[in-house]
Order: sequence, then C-alpha cells, then structure tokens
Amino acid sequence: MDLGLLQALERERVLEVLRRDKQLRTIEEDRIRRMKYELQELRRRGAKSFARQYGERTCARCQRPLGKFWNSGAVCHSCSHRICSKCRVGVGAAGWKCTVCHAYREVKFKSGDWFLEEKAKKFPVTTDKYEMVGDRLLKTYHVLSHISVVPPTPPPHLDYQFLSRSGDLKNSKPFTKSMEDLMVSFTSHIKKISTSQNDVRGDLLRVNNSRRGSCYSTQKSLSETDINKSSNLFKGPSLPNLFKKSKDSDQEGSSTGAEEETSCGSEYSGGKRGSSSSSISTDCGPFESISITGELELALAYNTNTSCLEITVGACRNLNYGDTRRKKCHPCVKLYMLPGKSGKMKTTVKKNTTDPVYNEVLKYHVERHLLFGKRLRATVWHSGTLKRKVFLGEVLVPLDGWRFKDKDSQRFNWYPLCQKAESPEGGAVEQDGGELLVRVKLSSNNQGV
Amino acid sequence: MASATATYGQKESSDQNFDYMFKILIIGNSSVGKTSFLFRYADDSFTPAFVSTVGIDFKVKTIYRNDKRIKLQIWDTAGQERYRTITTAYYRGAMGFILMYDITNEESFNAVQDWSTQIKTYSWDNAQVLLVGNKCDMEDERVVAGDRGRQLSDHLGFEFFEASAKDNINVKQTFERLVDIICEKMSESLDAGDPAVTGAKQGPQLTEQPAPPHQDCAC
Repeated sequence: MDLGLLQALERERVLEVLRRDKQLRTIEEDRIRRMKYELQELRRRGAKSFARQYGERTCARCQRPLGKFWNSGAVCHSCSHRICSKCRVGVGAAGWKCTVCHAYREVKFKSGDWFLEEKAKKFPVTTDKYEMVGDRLLKTYHVLSHISVVPPTPPPHLDYQFLSRSGDLKNSKPFTKSMEDLMVSFTSHIKKISTSQNDVRGDLLRVNNSRRGSCYSTQKSLSETDINKSSNLFKGPSLPNLFKKSKDSDQEGSSTGAEEETSCGSEYSGGKRGSSSSSISTDCGPFESISITGELELALAYNTNTSCLEITVGACRNLNYGDTRRKKCHPCVKLYMLPGKSGKMKTTVKKNTTDPVYNEVLKYHVERHLLFGKRLRATVWHSGTLKRKVFLGEVLVPLDGWRFKDKDSQRFNWYPLCQKAESPEGGAVEQDGGELLVRVKLSSNNQGV
Repeated sequence: MASATATYGQKESSDQNFDYMFKILIIGNSSVGKTSFLFRYADDSFTPAFVSTVGIDFKVKTIYRNDKRIKLQIWDTAGQERYRTITTAYYRGAMGFILMYDITNEESFNAVQDWSTQIKTYSWDNAQVLLVGNKCDMEDERVVAGDRGRQLSDHLGFEFFEASAKDNINVKQTFERLVDIICEKMSESLDAGDPAVTGAKQGPQLTEQPAPPHQDCAC
C-alpha cells in the first residue's frame, strides 16, 4: 500500500493523521510498559522463595504461614499455588484468583493484549500489519512533509564497535577455555563428593590453579567463612542453577528471611565476579541489572512423525535496551529444557533492534511422553561486545499440560518477559533437586605449586 | 473550529489516566454521515456542510463506563472507493465497528452487506459491529424503513440503532453499547480457557487438586 495515488495535499493530510496516531501509540506503549513492569515487580515479590521449602505451608503470595485447620489456604485455579484468604481477589461470580493472577488478568485487559491474542488467532503473522502500516508510511514520506510533529526515527546503523571488537573475542578464547576446564574439574570433583556417601563435611576439595589470582580470592573468601555457613544446604538440580539461585537471593536481599543463605549467596556472587568471563557466563556470568520489558512470541508444536518438539521463535517486542547507555540492543533467544541443562539452543542475533523478528524453528528431539514434567525456558539476551551478555527477560512454558493436539495452542502466543526470578511454579524445579553439601577450602601451601 | 478541536484532542490523547483503550472504526458509504456522527459524539458539534474525509482520521474520547475509564480511539474512514487501501489497513486494529448507512439513501443500505464482508475479511474473528441507520431526523426523505434495517442487522448478527448526528439522537447510546459489547468480548476472551472459571463450575471437590499448568497462566 502506498499513497502514490493521492495528491500531495491529501497525502499530507493522511500523514498528519498518522503522526498523531503514532504519538498516541507512543504514549500508550509507555503506559503499557510501566504497567507490565509493575506486574513483574508484583510477581517477583509474590514468587515462592527458594529460601523456604516449598512444602512448607505458607501462602504463596504474602509468605505468611498457613494453619492446618484455621486459614489453611486454598489453591488458586490459575496458578495452582496455595493462597491465604487475604491474598484472594474475587472475579465476578466465577470465583477468585490470587493477587498475582488477578493482576495478570487486569494487565491483559488494560494493555489490550487480550485483543492482540484474539487477533493473532486469525492473523498469525509476526509483524503486526496495523502497527506497521502507519509507521511504514511515515517513514517513507517523512521527507516530503513540512510538519514534523514526531521527530523522525534515526536510520538503523551498524554497531561498528561491536564488529571490531569481535576480533578481540577470538583472542580471549584460550583464557575462556582454561576457565572452562577449571569449571569442569571443579564440577567433577563435586560429583565425586556427592556420589561417595562419606561425610562430605570432612572432605577437602583442593582446586589448583596458579593462573588466576581472582580465583584465589574467591576460594579464600569461602575458606574464611565459618563451617556452618559454608556447609549450607542447597537444593537445586545443577551447579549453574545453584549460582543462579544464590544470585537471586542476593538480589532480593534479606527479603527471603533466610540470613545464612543470603550471606552465602553473596559470597558466591562475589566469586562470580572474580571469575568474570568464565564460560559459564551465559547463565550466571556478568549480569547487568536492567528492567525487564517486552514480550516474546512463541509457537509450540509436537511432530509425532519425527518425535520432535518444534519451537518457533517468532519475535520479540518492546525489549529494553541491552546497552542502556548507548541505546543498543542485539537480542537473541536461547531455549532450554527444564529440568536439567540439556538441549540448549539459540536463535541468531538480531542487530540494533528492540523488536527483533526471528521466525526460526528450533527442534528438540524428545519422545512425547518424556515431555511430562518438563518446561521450556526461553531467555532473551542482549549480546554485547566481548561476549558480554545482558539478560533481557525470560519465559517459562510448562510442557506437560500443553495441548499439542489443540490447533489453537500451536499458534503463536505472546508471552510477557519476566525477571530471572525463581519460577513461580517453583515446585517443579525442586522436585528433581537432590541435596549437595560442599565445603571448599584453599590450603595456602599450594600457592607455590 | 479545527484548531479548537485539535487542542482538545491533544489533551485527550496524551492523558494516561484510563483503564482500557478501545479502537473503533466507523465505516459505510460516502456521505452517510460518519464524520458528523463522530464530531457529534466527540465534540458535540454539527456542521451541515459536507466535507469528504481524506483517507482516515481519528478522534480520542475518554468515557466512564462500568466503573472503568475507557479511552476510545475512534477512526473515521473515507467512504470513497479510492481510499479503500488505506482504510482497510486499519480494520485489523479495530476491536469494534460502526457500520453506517443513510436512511434516505437506498444505495448506502444496499452496500451494508459488502461492508460486512469487508469486516469479515480484514478484521479479527470476534469483531463487534453495530449497524447504524443515520439521518433519522429526515423522516420525510426516508427510503429505508426501520424494519428493513432491523431485519438486515438480525441477519448479519449485528445490533441495530437508528440515529441522527444532527439532532443528537442515539449517538452516545451507539458508542456506549459498542463499548459494552467489547467489554463483554474482552472478559470472554480471557475466561474461555480460564481454569478459575471452568474449575468453579466443576464443583468444589476440585479445589484441593492443583489445576494443570495452563499456558495462559500468570504464575
């Protein structure tokens, strides 16, 4: 569609309307962004903390303990969490929802997402034509216009610095590799410890590494803590998760109420900073805390012929800038199958956009019945210079309840991106978590070795 | 007047103090009174002179309805065929439609079926449509009986109003009814697959069983 058929004056009139519309939409997007941010805050606060055992009878929202007979709570139909009577909001005659589910519903109304979802049923395209038509025309014709209500958007340009830095990236490989080796040996040691059922407390783990001073400081700080602290119990499926969780509890401060865990968490994150750019970095590496905005569009389908779970990553929209200072964003999407860290896959990196369109199909070869209890974790990352990844948000999609036969569920869906908090359906993660008791001590004698 | 309405619209459009935002499109043959209808509703003004709309235009009005502040972006489209590519591009973003004909113009009434097809083609499946027979103040020149309008609306599954932008008859009612219908559709869209609703219907014995994880669920 173009305005070529119209006379110059007519075109001007139409463009003026389009500009007003764009102005309106900009304001509206801003409102929606704030609204979704508030929702995320609410969800984060209400999320079950890892500091507490999941089985403990507390309200999933206010964390207050629930009684056995009195105020024993009831299960919210939307999120399946046990909720105390104070954290419920009535929705008509239909029943009640917990505060978070209710807020989520409200945001869907207020943001107009309900309509976008309905519309996507008929037009499962990734680029919203309606949103684009006005913008496209404005872009095409803004040269011709005399009135400039909305400043024209700067043309996209390549991030040259990023390109030139990518050379440095290769140079840093050997170093990264060595850190990887270190991590592998470290984890294998831990595996040994956990498999042997001996008293782990008595076990001493020595990690020899004379190459990196920073690692010493890490371990030193651990060795200096008293035994009680370093022998804290962690529940989690894997080491990276352990890092992640401790980091989360670190971020949330003492809101968890578990003092010891928090303090230990900060030690871990300290160590993480020390060993920056280690190859485990994608999940627990350099982390810049930016607010999470936007949504991710996914479509899931199960192909019974090939036994493949086919995940189509459609697009993202309204992402925050990964590099807030320079207003840059090169987003990519990574997919994992939870629990476990198996089957990591990622899309290509889109340059200079906060609304990337991927339309990439990623396939997991997995038997249908094995999807039970599994969840899909889709994370969005800004890949900045020097492999520096900035977390832009994540989406967790439970797969066992997924109606793959249902045609509707195979269509594209927009999922709001969330903070990398512990997932609200945390129970599923913990089910597979064993216990690991580790103490790390650095003997200063080894320094000369 | 143009400048006055522009500033008024400016203030309305930058206002963020509302709950929902609905987009409504007014369609129908040329000169049935779409622009007048919108001006009457948004500015409470009426000009008998006919000025053909160029392509598209919109006005913003915030109303208070069902305890909610609802901001309406009402798109006024050109009825003329030559603007059709522009106007149809905006069907997709509209939650509701006002399909208008002129009760003194047989041709505009006959075109309703075509407009309805356009909506079905270019809009979402659940598009809410109100059929409006405008200019009901001109009873002397009426050629489309009210019953014919009602019958057609029944046939198409739309609700029906006869209205007059000039005498301010049923203008507000039309928009408010459309807003109500969109509100209903909005609730339905989220409750359709909502375990909270279906669960409650299934009875209290299910309350202790965790519902299966749901794709639309917040948590």
